[in-house]
Amino acid sequence: MTRYCALFILIVLAFGGLRLAKAQDNYEIQVYGSDTVAPNTTMLELHSNFTVEGSVPAPGSRFTAEGLYPTNHAEHETVEITQGINNWSEVGFYIFTSARSGDGWQWVGDHIRPRVRAPDSWHWPVGVSLSMEFGYQRALFSPDTWTMELRPIIDKQINRWYFAVNPALERSFHGPSVNEGIGFSPSAKFSYDFNKYISGGLEYYAAYGSIAGIAALHDQEQQFFPTIDLNVSPNWEINFGVGVGATASTDHLIVKGILGRRFDWTHHRAGSSDSTQ
Amino acid sequence: MRTDRRDFLITASLAMLATAAKTKLWAQTPADVRADVRLEISPLKLEIAPKKEIHTVAYNGRVPGPLIRWPEGKPITIDVLNRTDVPEIVHWHGLWIPSEQDGAMEEGSPMIAPGAERRYSFTPRPAGFRWYHTHTSAGHDLKRATYTGQFGCFYIEPKQSPGAYDQEIFLTLHDWNAYMGGSGDASMDAFYDYATINDRMLGYGDPIKVREGQKVLLHVLNASATATHWLALAGHEFTVAAMDGNEVPQQAKVQAVRLAPAERIGLLVEMNRPGVWILGETRLEIRKSGMGIVVEYANQSGEPKWIDPPETLWDYTLFAKQEPALEPDERIPLVFESKFHGHGDVDYWKINGKSYPKTDTIPLREGKHYRLVMRNKSSDDHPVHLHRHTFEVTSLDGKPISKLRKDVIVVKANSYAEIDFVAANPGLTLFHCHQQTHMDFGFMMLFRYA
Repeated sequence: MTRYCALFILIVLAFGGLRLAKAQDNYEIQVYGSDTVAPNTTMLELHSNFTVEGSVPAPGSRFTAEGLYPTNHAEHETVEITQGINNWSEVGFYIFTSARSGDGWQWVGDHIRPRVRAPDSWHWPVGVSLSMEFGYQRALFSPDTWTMELRPIIDKQINRWYFAVNPALERSFHGPSVNEGIGFSPSAKFSYDFNKYISGGLEYYAAYGSIAGIAALHDQEQQFFPTIDLNVSPNWEINFGVGVGATASTDHLIVKGILGRRFDWTHHRAGSSDSTQ
Repeated sequence: MRTDRRDFLITASLAMLATAAKTKLWAQTPADVRADVRLEISPLKLEIAPKKEIHTVAYNGRVPGPLIRWPEGKPITIDVLNRTDVPEIVHWHGLWIPSEQDGAMEEGSPMIAPGAERRYSFTPRPAGFRWYHTHTSAGHDLKRATYTGQFGCFYIEPKQSPGAYDQEIFLTLHDWNAYMGGSGDASMDAFYDYATINDRMLGYGDPIKVREGQKVLLHVLNASATATHWLALAGHEFTVAAMDGNEVPQQAKVQAVRLAPAERIGLLVEMNRPGVWILGETRLEIRKSGMGIVVEYANQSGEPKWIDPPETLWDYTLFAKQEPALEPDERIPLVFESKFHGHGDVDYWKINGKSYPKTDTIPLREGKHYRLVMRNKSSDDHPVHLHRHTFEVTSLDGKPISKLRKDVIVVKANSYAEIDFVAANPGLTLFHCHQQTHMDFGFMMLFRYA
């Protein structure tokens, strides 16, 4: 596994390049899998991210040099509610919040995220889905307030190995990045099932800047999260990781956790060998 | 009150009788004599709805295969011709017949090579609703074995009166176009694109035609490779009269029935609500995938209607005597466990810590009364099947019951179940989970007669 990790990091860093990257979004740190929430089912997730070492206030100010709330020692709590529509689509809704000593607990913004996937009946060799996330974040937390993200999702589980890649494209509609066009923010994950309940892996998050002109490496965001997924029950999702920023523009150390609970409003689970009562 | 030994041993006595006479009853019929039934296994393009074709394998070019209706105790010969390019075998499910005729290679029945023909000769018993199906392994190829259309109904007519009803209908449930997907137990399992009752999706087959006041007997078989199904007839109640072809000791009315793979049920329905109704899966998504059939009263027309039944918890004990069964001569503990192979693979299975073919072969003594004490430590249900014997369900999750006779019983996830049988049919005897993904990956074992 170590060899795969090293190779993965090298490939990703080799993309290092040119120009300015976008602001980092440490509210929902997750590489998406292609599966959607089942119909008549609601997924409630709490994303808890603590920045151990992040941006700090400018001298004599509550804010950073960019005029944002600092991320150093900030606790970001995000509630994500996702409702399954049918067996190939879902809609997610986010409430972003931030808490930091001296700044109190503040509402940051909301996003909505419809998602569709290639239905099982297409029998594709890999899982594929596409999400479109749109919403608002307050200017004190993100210089670009109204943004949209288009995120293709490709994944594959082969026995004990899992691979996922999310080559996301971002667009700002209000803020300093409006004129920069479309930004490229890929993320990826691979993991290995140690047993039925514990999987360990590595997640990668990046923001390379505009696709028209990739930012210089030190202006890019590059983060690596060794993670653990606990599969204690089909109704629960538990993910934990510690992220290390690899460039000057990235928060250097973040601890993240995701706790999800699935609520199945149907009486019976279809087409499975699971107990039906 | 305890079960009378004589009552309990009815099943065993009949089997013993057959055993004693087996030389005569099961003698091979000369090959130049025309067989009573002929089955041809061949590829089939099955149209389950307009423009929905399933490429499968079936008996005599139809799904289900032909209904074999035969008097109890009368010898039968069945020729099976394999016109596919893989070895095949036909298992006569629920019949008390010798190992070499039973149609399971694990017991010593020979496979039928591609292009070859084999004659099965046996005397069908016991009376009731049995069935026949392929007994091959599919492994990861979900277009083989019981994923195909290789199944059919086998009704052994009782010598005495079969019961009071006006119409008798055979229905088979099946799922089609299986593919692997992530399941609730964190491993892969089979999911399906389509489902049918008999050979057509809901809305595309001939309706069942009934008249007001009729009493209809439905013989329903779940011939799915892996899926458990719930069935209801909108606006009507079922009276459960038989399970796995054996009369239940305690009839009970229910709104919906649950059938695991290989289970059969005999349902009496009073046709007392004129209209056009759907008999189908209780779950909308499976009904939409095709599992349903229209029931049409005489002189009624219009769109078929569905009414959701109240939520039903399936409870075998409703149909059993609420009294303990006779104590067995010997108890055989069986522990079922899964072995994880990654979220991207199916689970592998162990009985008493071993996977087939490494499972222990347990010796039986003819005439002895055994109890299988089963503990399912996995998070999957297991519809377990004992070949060539009928068993009595004697305890479910610690609740003692008796006189419910079956050949498949669902041992629920993380639960206990006990079944009794008398070793009355010498020969290798296969015991396995009837879920194709479970039996193919270790969930099988053999009993042998000492």
